[in-house]
Amino acid sequence: MTLTHRLLVILGRLAVLAVILAGAEIGVRSGALSELFFSSPSEIFKALITQWSSGSFLQDVGITVLETLLGLVSGSLLGMAIGLLLPQLRLVSHVFEPFLMVLNGIPVIVIAPLFILWLGLGIPSKIGISVYIVFFAMFIPVYTASLRLDTTFVDALRVMGASRSQIFWKVIVPSSLPSVYTGLKIGSGLALIGAVIGEFVASRAGLGHMILYASGTLDTPTLYLGIITLAVFAAALSFAIDALGPVLVHYRFADEK
Amino acid sequence: MLEFRNISFSFPGRRGAVEVLRDVSFCCKEDEIVAVVGPSGCGKSTLLSLAISLRKPSAGEVLIDGRAVRGSDRRVGMLFQQTTLLPWRSVLENVELGLEIRGEPKDKRRARALSLMKLYGLGGFERKYPHALSGGMQKRAALAQTLAVEPTVLLLDEPFAALDAQTRVVIQNDVVKICRAGKRSMIIVTHDIAEAISMADRVVVLTQRPATVKKIYEIPLSRRAASVADVQSTPEFAHFFKEIWDALDISVTGMAPGVDAAA
Repeated sequence: MTLTHRLLVILGRLAVLAVILAGAEIGVRSGALSELFFSSPSEIFKALITQWSSGSFLQDVGITVLETLLGLVSGSLLGMAIGLLLPQLRLVSHVFEPFLMVLNGIPVIVIAPLFILWLGLGIPSKIGISVYIVFFAMFIPVYTASLRLDTTFVDALRVMGASRSQIFWKVIVPSSLPSVYTGLKIGSGLALIGAVIGEFVASRAGLGHMILYASGTLDTPTLYLGIITLAVFAAALSFAIDALGPVLVHYRFADEK
Repeated sequence: MLEFRNISFSFPGRRGAVEVLRDVSFCCKEDEIVAVVGPSGCGKSTLLSLAISLRKPSAGEVLIDGRAVRGSDRRVGMLFQQTTLLPWRSVLENVELGLEIRGEPKDKRRARALSLMKLYGLGGFERKYPHALSGGMQKRAALAQTLAVEPTVLLLDEPFAALDAQTRVVIQNDVVKICRAGKRSMIIVTHDIAEAISMADRVVVLTQRPATVKKIYEIPLSRRAASVADVQSTPEFAHFFKEIWDALDISVTGMAPGVDAAA
């Protein structure tokens, strides 16, 4: 891409954003858009100031971010560990496969009340729900990749005299890293969904709670504030995961010539 | 020296045991190159997997220097048809792999891998990843990976099938040279008769399944010729090609006599 092309893309994006913001501001102010259904950027900003000064905004954001990150990290680690180990134990994997598939098929929204029941209204239940869906996002690609591993690599290492654990660490783990990256990409989105769904079902704080409360009290600006904040966090998380790519699968990003 | 002694191999199938190899015996002495040819699916590659203990013979033994092979053996190296270069390791790290598995200290194995790479014309590609190398260079790197641990027996399982014709001849040449220089025993399994004649001192022809040794040809060409291309331009080459082709053909078609008349 040429420099002018990239410059035009950035300018274009800024223009789209400006049109949306200006449209909302003018639309709501002129009365063309109902204040019940829409909010002007200035109203949303006022809601941010109110929420910020009461201290609840930072608390809500902090709680949702914490739930999401802990859910993502522990769910991913669990999914990786089991996805890598299960194919090593053929009998165990054959026994457990249908159970895992059934568990994976249950919609998270109906599992959420169980986690609330087990772990209470606070943060742990939200992390639990997040772990639950992130686990499968990581487990399935890693497990499938381990099952489809090129056996020539394993045979070659065996001929060189490698032990089972050497084969595991030198072939199976590194060959799973592209799938781990895929799992993280999918899982990062799901971790946030899990946390917010948990907050929707029952909670005392968090962005999901803030959104639900604003919706209940017809506080439209705060509702939009919550949605925008979630969107910004989701985007930031996705950028962070993308940046992990060259670390996890460095050879795919290495120079071609 | 590698010896296959009265090897039989069968595996359980849906309708009883499938017999793959029946009483196969031949050997490959030190500083000798033996090619094994046979109709496709006859069990040529199975022979090699027995020599590296990936499978166990139903009867008979594989011996190296008179001792039966059990488990992975340090004296055996194998060059596979598919690449064994791990894509997440640089070429240098791949060449070091065997030494790393044996627990060689880092500076020692690095020095050995670097000198091997230079020897095989891979200098300057140490930090590259395998996907950046051409097919021929990947083969050379895989060969360096196999030979880094200095095996005395080298097994090749249709190693050049995926290469283009010109690269193949160049690599065949290199492998013959490298093998002869190290006084190794080398067994190459191939379906390419020309490859067998131009590289090997002896060619073992197997029959269809269950495979038995049909005939063994002594080929005096490779050792006295300067290159693979030279072998292929001798009149004896054509003679051996026809003989081995005929030997294979009978078992390949396996048609009942009189089938032409019936049609």
